[in-house]
Amino acid sequence: MIPVSVKLAWREINSAWSRFLFLFLCIALGVGAIVAVDLFAVNVEQVILGDTRALLGGDVELSWRRAISDKGRNVLDSLADRNMVLSHVTETAAMATVDSPNPQTPLTKIASQLVELKAIDSAYPLYGRLVVEPDLPTAQLLDSPQSGCSHSPCFGALVQESLLIRLNLTVGSELRIGQASFLITAVLKKEPDRIANGFSLGPRVMISREALKATMLIQIGSRVQERYRMSISDSTSLEPLMGELRGRLSQEGAQVSSFRDAQPRLRRFLDQLNLYLGLIGFTILLVGGIGVACTIQGFLTQKIPIIATLKTLGADSSQIIRLYLTQSLFLGGIGSLLGVLVGVVLHRGLPLLLQGIIPETMPMSPTVAPILRGIVLGILATLAFSLWPLLAIRHVSPALVYRQAVDHSQDINNTQSRLTRWLTFLQHWWNDRAQLMVSIGIMVGVTGLAMWQAHSPALGVFFSGACAVAVLLLLGATGVLYRILRHVPIPQRYLLRHAVKNLQRPGNFTKAMTLAIGIGVMLMTTLTIVQRSLLDLIGNQIPSQAPSFFFIDIQPDQQPQFISVLEQKFPDSPYNLVPVVRSRITAINGQPIDPEAHKGKRNGWYFTREYVLTTSRDLPQDNILTKGNWWDHTKESNPGGATESPSDFPLVSVEEDAAKNLELTLGSTLTLDIQGVEFVAKVASLRQVDWSSFSINFFMIVEPGSFDGAPFTYIATTRVPTNLEVPLQQAIVAVMPNVTAINVGDVLENIGRIFQQLAMGIQALALLCLVTGAVVMIAAISINRYRRLHELAIVKALGGSRKLLMFSLGVEFGVIGAFAGLVGIGLGCLLSWSLLYFFFDLIWNFDLIVLSTGLLLTILLSLMTGFLGTYRLLGFPPLSVLRQE
Amino acid sequence: MELRAGSQSVKILRDISFEIFTNQVVAIVGPSGSGKSTLLGLLAGLDRPTQGSIRIHQTDITTLTETEMAHFRRQHIGYVFQAFHLIPTLTALENVALPLELQGISTGTSRAKTLLQSVGLEHRLHHYPVQLSGGEQQRVALARAFIVKPPLLLADEPTGNLDSSTGAMVIDLLWELHQQHGSTLILVTHDMSLASRAQRILTLRDGAMVNETTQPLPSFEA
Repeated sequence: MIPVSVKLAWREINSAWSRFLFLFLCIALGVGAIVAVDLFAVNVEQVILGDTRALLGGDVELSWRRAISDKGRNVLDSLADRNMVLSHVTETAAMATVDSPNPQTPLTKIASQLVELKAIDSAYPLYGRLVVEPDLPTAQLLDSPQSGCSHSPCFGALVQESLLIRLNLTVGSELRIGQASFLITAVLKKEPDRIANGFSLGPRVMISREALKATMLIQIGSRVQERYRMSISDSTSLEPLMGELRGRLSQEGAQVSSFRDAQPRLRRFLDQLNLYLGLIGFTILLVGGIGVACTIQGFLTQKIPIIATLKTLGADSSQIIRLYLTQSLFLGGIGSLLGVLVGVVLHRGLPLLLQGIIPETMPMSPTVAPILRGIVLGILATLAFSLWPLLAIRHVSPALVYRQAVDHSQDINNTQSRLTRWLTFLQHWWNDRAQLMVSIGIMVGVTGLAMWQAHSPALGVFFSGACAVAVLLLLGATGVLYRILRHVPIPQRYLLRHAVKNLQRPGNFTKAMTLAIGIGVMLMTTLTIVQRSLLDLIGNQIPSQAPSFFFIDIQPDQQPQFISVLEQKFPDSPYNLVPVVRSRITAINGQPIDPEAHKGKRNGWYFTREYVLTTSRDLPQDNILTKGNWWDHTKESNPGGATESPSDFPLVSVEEDAAKNLELTLGSTLTLDIQGVEFVAKVASLRQVDWSSFSINFFMIVEPGSFDGAPFTYIATTRVPTNLEVPLQQAIVAVMPNVTAINVGDVLENIGRIFQQLAMGIQALALLCLVTGAVVMIAAISINRYRRLHELAIVKALGGSRKLLMFSLGVEFGVIGAFAGLVGIGLGCLLSWSLLYFFFDLIWNFDLIVLSTGLLLTILLSLMTGFLGTYRLLGFPPLSVLRQE
Repeated sequence: MELRAGSQSVKILRDISFEIFTNQVVAIVGPSGSGKSTLLGLLAGLDRPTQGSIRIHQTDITTLTETEMAHFRRQHIGYVFQAFHLIPTLTALENVALPLELQGISTGTSRAKTLLQSVGLEHRLHHYPVQLSGGEQQRVALARAFIVKPPLLLADEPTGNLDSSTGAMVIDLLWELHQQHGSTLILVTHDMSLASRAQRILTLRDGAMVNETTQPLPSFEA
């Protein structure tokens, strides 16, 4: 038999579904956001962890940013008899040009495009499947075609569709890369070892190893990535092999990875993305919680007679609290279920917003764990936010069955000084053990939920601390604004006075509404300002003297040719040509560096990265010497001067941040591996570099003459007017097909596009937070709708027109919007300033247009929300309302 | 007993002292605002006096905590209101069974049925308060008050919201139940004919007790 109390709970809910609609929505939006992000995270995990072998391209990968060393080759050879399958893949950037059928076509009319070239062998892919269209065997597609080529040597090539679109080609068209010709034999649909196309220099072109050789692109010092993958037999255990390889290759500059750490960067990026999105989702749930608290409080206010009656019948407060808590949790449960639906729908939408950043083929199936987690979070949030208003049940006197309630709060406010009021409040709070315990419980609970959401205790504590500070600041600032409003001379017009007074009457939810909207506004402001600053950095703040082109891999013997092309055809374009050589740090002050020990550590990349070295006689233009001295010019004329320097080692100037992280000081020695040759240099000076100048800048500059004979190439920068960009690229590529031309504008545009996409995904969620704030506002308005209806009816009966009433309501909601906007934008400025200053190292700019637009939009949102919540009340004929009294 | 409203406080009751014996029927009379309902509320522990003490069955209820008072009330006191105060979302049967359930007794329904039968509402068991007339609602309230067999039954103008014939019927029923259960009955009324059926009449004016009359039990007269 069902207990009467359960029936009571059920019937009370049952008689007031519409009243709880907003409570459901508040919880559903929060749970929905969390479920969507969680489902998305699980899907990403599925992709990344699902077939890690395919992602890495093997069980183990050895990779070099240069040609494999002899010792490396020996290691590989020694593995041959261990029952492993090997696959060799080479990746490099290159220029693809379309061969004109007409030899008379001017060079500058030939289309060219920067591509990401990948040369594969017959064993590729060791795991996973290459998807191409038409679906023919890869070997056949990459082989030299029987016909269709106008040049030789000619090979087959697989290309991404974007290349076809950009160069206006089709399958069957001919391409030139380096010294070889290629016939496009198929469109590349999916590479098993590449899951996201986010940050790429250009479309992928896949060719055979034989074809790569024919292109003559890979020369000494070329920028290249050599990957040797192996699949090991089941009997070979992975860890000992990894240990052995790392040991044997420790000085070879090789990156040794196993499938267990496939795609570490992408994984870290997506983990971070999911973390941020998840925390925004949690914020939405907290904002929704404000709506829950308001709804429950409003509901209880209407239930006071019943609560008093139950008390006269002998029910104690804990019994009644349990009764209404059960109701709240039941409602929260329904809201959470609704949230799951919202989440599944949002989850389908997220990939659309994040297109290009996330893996292209994501499974979109909902999984059970995030859904259950969402429901549990929703119910726990309901518990946390309804418990506080429910505690008020204890103060409902049973004597209310025969006496009207009197609100004492105003009297206390009027009769006591502010300090006494606060002291009284604190004293009550401290003396009320139950309330104290519940308050602590709620704080601990919310912190616990945040920890659960952030998957990190420290971050959870930080997040809830930040939330608490934000809420206190928002409430404090709102309090000050309403205090000011109280002292503003109130306009004589009744309707205006009524509107202003309405914001301050007992039992209002003004602060809750301001808080709920303010949080969303704060989030949106912060994101908008940070996004604009970063986009500004990428796009608008490029100095006018910044180069428009980078040319890389210019061979030493091509230097005169390169200069002559530029000087003859583009005489007005200033250029800068510097020799570079790639290196890795192997020791500092004679102490060998173990790159493995620095992997994954904060700033560990200073130890593991590749350093491009250059030599320079003079201190580069944008650099400022902060310590030590620049070398003496005269020494350059002395060949081999480096070895004659007093220190016996050539001198190097290091960028100051790198020096700080590498713990280098003046006089430290730095051992570098230049393409297998050891090179020791002594730190002679430290420099400050303005990286945003977009000129060629280096972490390390070695004194001239130090690495004569090293396998260096040249890189060049030049600046041409936009209309000459294509002709310049074509002119260089036509005579030096191995040189890669990188258009700075294109790269920045690409980065900007991806960044904008990312920002859009995050902002979409932040917008949901604002929507939740609006729902909270409607919820709060609807709680007092009977009182409002009654007042509107009286004013109408006295002759107030609908227009006048709307004006009065407009003032009320406009003030809420203005206050929420001011406070939210103020805090958003503070938050974005801290983020830009401490995290991005950027200057915060006051942007009046953004901020005032934000304020206007918030007022508009508040007005629209307010009218949405009250427009039906305006339509009621006054008599029908007053007759029901 | 003082009440505060704003910065002003009003003394509602002062210097009241009386004793009531088990099984007695006592009527409290007086003009509106004389403090009758407040006195009854104090006896039920719904309010707390600012001074003085109230002892019921050896228990000083003024010293009880809120929870202890609630537990005391559910075992010792039945209360009937002028405005009935039925829970609108529960049926008549459920309303009557509720006090037992609050005590953790889950078999209250059969007893509630018997009581509703005894007040003549066996055909209204599953009706909600809004579907019942005023008289019927008050009869449900009577059944609800008696279901825990309270030693003390308090009735605050039980006929105040009813027409005279319905009121008379409800009063007959109240007396009948009082006799059946042997409860002490204290009722507030300004209907002197109803008061005259009580053994003692306490008269209040401006918060003070101005008169007390004791009359022989009607049964002794018979």
